[in-house]
Amino acid sequence: MTEQQRRFSIIPGIREWVQNRVDVDGLIQGALHVSIPRGVRTYFLGGTTLFFLGVQVITGILLALHYQPSAQDAYQSVLHIMNSVRFGWLIRSIHAWSANLMIITCALHMLRVFFQGAYKKPREITWTAGVVLLLITLGFGFTGYLLPWDQRAFWATTVGTEIAGSVPVAGDILKNFLRAGPDISGLTLSRFYGIHTLVLPVSVGLFVLVHLALIHEQGLAGPAGKDDGEVES
Amino acid sequence: MSLASEQSQTAPRRSILKYLLTFSIVTTLGGVLTPIISYLWPPMRQTTVQGSRVRVASLKELEAAGGLITAVEGQAIVLTYSQNSVKAFSAICTHLGCIVQWESAGKYIQCPCHDGRFNAQTGAVISGPPPAPLPPRETVVDGDDVFVII
Repeated sequence: MTEQQRRFSIIPGIREWVQNRVDVDGLIQGALHVSIPRGVRTYFLGGTTLFFLGVQVITGILLALHYQPSAQDAYQSVLHIMNSVRFGWLIRSIHAWSANLMIITCALHMLRVFFQGAYKKPREITWTAGVVLLLITLGFGFTGYLLPWDQRAFWATTVGTEIAGSVPVAGDILKNFLRAGPDISGLTLSRFYGIHTLVLPVSVGLFVLVHLALIHEQGLAGPAGKDDGEVES
Repeated sequence: MSLASEQSQTAPRRSILKYLLTFSIVTTLGGVLTPIISYLWPPMRQTTVQGSRVRVASLKELEAAGGLITAVEGQAIVLTYSQNSVKAFSAICTHLGCIVQWESAGKYIQCPCHDGRFNAQTGAVISGPPPAPLPPRETVVDGDDVFVII
């Protein structure tokens, strides 16, 4: 057993038993190591976004364990989380802050990729998946904003869905679909909660998988004109 | 420098670094997991001060009904009125925890789950599976108001 392997083992017996059957070490090494160009300084933004996504998943699951998605109880349950639940204020605040930071890092990541031309052939699919991820992230922000069910949430969603309603031709249908009816009601809250906690998480998982698989398959693009100087890192 | 003295110099430094690394990993994990685990723990129910009295019924209504079930600070209470006296008991059946009900026809407290029956005045078991009488609760009658001491 090498020093490297020993460091990762928590319970050596179990680790060895599994390793004798499946090459877990190889899988972990393969998942951790991506070839990146030498001397880069700005390649952490995607990973930072992924970190915030992880934070959102954990704090979001925790919030869902105390939140009540109904018109009658939603606001009270948020107050309950903030005032009565131990560390509820912390979990909810982390969720809110991390949501904002995730959108910021997401945008910075996109700018970095854009200005370094890393979206060019053969990485167009990764870029497209990334654009979808950005849209999903904004969808998370939009649907999550309604969930506290206070005045700000209600009117922000009124405005947001009204904007969707201003789309030519399909606007009214779109608005009705988003609101689950002509007005914002408890049905809208259920709809947004379902989208926020079921539809979008599954979608984001799928697209992150594609995004990361492509990065592992193709490696990261170097700064313009230096694409050949790749090293393992 | 000989190999032996080199080892004796580097080995403690490495083990101290390892110790510090482990320490920081453990404290970080502790700092993250402590809020998460406490968050999952159900929050305390807010209760009124012990020994305070809570109005539960009007004497007239209780007299007419003979008995009724009510909830005081999250505790189920059964009130009975017979022979000019008000009695209160925990309404949680001592058998398997169902909420008992007032059986007005037979003037006894009955558990609907397994037909355990309790005496309206003493809370003692009349028949059925309950192993123990219903625990009594202290009551105060002030004019038309019936209070329970919690």
